[in-house]
Amino acid sequence: MRKYWTVFQVNWQNALQYRGPTFISILGNLLHISVLLYLWNAIYLSNQSLGSYTLSDLITYYILQLIINSMVLSYISWEISDQISEGSFSNFLVKPVNYLHYWFTINLSGKLFEGLIILVVGAILSFLLIAHVSFPSSGLSLVYFIFSMILGGLLAFEFDFAIGILAFWIVKVNSFKYMLQYCIFFLAGALLPLDLFPVSFQVVANALPFRFLVFFPIQIFLEKEANPLPGFLIAMGWIVFLYFFLQFALRRGITRYEAVGK
Amino acid sequence: MKLLVNKLTKIFVRYFALYRSFLSHNLKNEMIYRANFAINVGMDIFFMMMNVLFFSILYGNVETVGGWTFHQTLILVGSVGIVRELAYLTFRKGFLELGNYVRTGNFDVMLTSPIAPAAHLAFRHVSLTDSLGEGLMGLLLVVYGFLHLSNASWIGIPFYLLMLVNSLVIYYALCLLINSLVFWLVKSQELNTVVYYFINTARYPREIYHGLGKIFFTFILPSSLIATTPAAILVGRANPSLVLISLSVAGGGLILGLFVWNWSLNFYSSASS
Repeated sequence: MRKYWTVFQVNWQNALQYRGPTFISILGNLLHISVLLYLWNAIYLSNQSLGSYTLSDLITYYILQLIINSMVLSYISWEISDQISEGSFSNFLVKPVNYLHYWFTINLSGKLFEGLIILVVGAILSFLLIAHVSFPSSGLSLVYFIFSMILGGLLAFEFDFAIGILAFWIVKVNSFKYMLQYCIFFLAGALLPLDLFPVSFQVVANALPFRFLVFFPIQIFLEKEANPLPGFLIAMGWIVFLYFFLQFALRRGITRYEAVGK
Repeated sequence: MKLLVNKLTKIFVRYFALYRSFLSHNLKNEMIYRANFAINVGMDIFFMMMNVLFFSILYGNVETVGGWTFHQTLILVGSVGIVRELAYLTFRKGFLELGNYVRTGNFDVMLTSPIAPAAHLAFRHVSLTDSLGEGLMGLLLVVYGFLHLSNASWIGIPFYLLMLVNSLVIYYALCLLINSLVFWLVKSQELNTVVYYFINTARYPREIYHGLGKIFFTFILPSSLIATTPAAILVGRANPSLVLISLSVAGGGLILGLFVWNWSLNFYSSASS
């Protein structure tokens, strides 16, 4: 456990040192979210509406999406596939660390760091838009929401790790990975709430586990999810399944590893 | 007067010849990696399709957005694609490489060769294929949207093209302004992320903004003009004031951009040489 604590600390200091990119990416997200808020506002001003959402619901949806993007969604696959395709993964073959656990620690410290910043940004934003934010009516919903974010964060990490280690099998994985990541975010409800999709789409999206990353937590916050317990169980099932699957895939991947450039 | 015209023509001919030789050189380089080319085009088309998907789902729920119908919005999305391809055909990729030049001190070459540094940087990395998928897909969307307009008028096309060029000028001016910071930061990746977000928010109609947001997205980060102005002309929604604003932002931005860029060059530290 202590070695992972060291990894955590080192990465935390790294994040502090290279805070520029974090700020810029938050700024960019903030920009995109504000454009979308203007978009929804324009739609509701012209007396139209989206599904069962009120304007406040939608504004809340996208502020939460901003927070979830920083605290839950994972962007580590870039470095993982670089390590594999450029050969620096070899270092891990001789170190007494589990590659999955190592990256889980890195991801955790990164998400906590970004989370601290985004909570401040989100708080300022909600304060400015206080009249347009829907808060849950009961404390229990808030507890459920936080729990669902934790589950979402675990799942998001596992999916991104899976995308990263694809590099064992596919050499030029970068652009493919980008598309895959985008599809996951789309099916997670990061761009549009899933219940605005055409019905046939919704059936597919509901059957897939990606909705637990974004859509599911936000629905709990907006109290549109009557009973979140079955969702929790399904998400936890996926987390456990993916954990064993990834450990298995990692072992298979190592047998294919060519240590390019080393 | 005649002398001036002669001189300008000569400069133009020289720059055009340089541009052509850089373009053909880069094209040969790009053609070596055919798989890369196919992947690039495929990825561009994928992301354009996702934008279309976003709007199709949205328009499944509403009739108009900011007064724009679905087919009119396709022209917006397509126009952004075309502007991006035009940018890669002229200046965009050079700015992406600028950070490396400044960090290593290789920017010396650009400063000492007998061509304007900004033009040299732009031409050196001009690329036909980097954004080709977006350009082609954009063209397709514009044509498709245009054919589905109830009031399509062919007269708008030349003005549409003219305003596309105007949008390109706005884009260039913004790139110059933001990338001028590279001489202090010595890194251009994050600067160009800002540029990316700028062009990425251009596909929404300008009519959605009001108040402070409208001022911000017109004069500070003029993304609301990039696609909306040309597209508005094509769909017959343009008004003189919109065109006038776009022209002045382009003109004013370009003058400011060139001024700031040329001034910032003084702060280049010429590392390691």
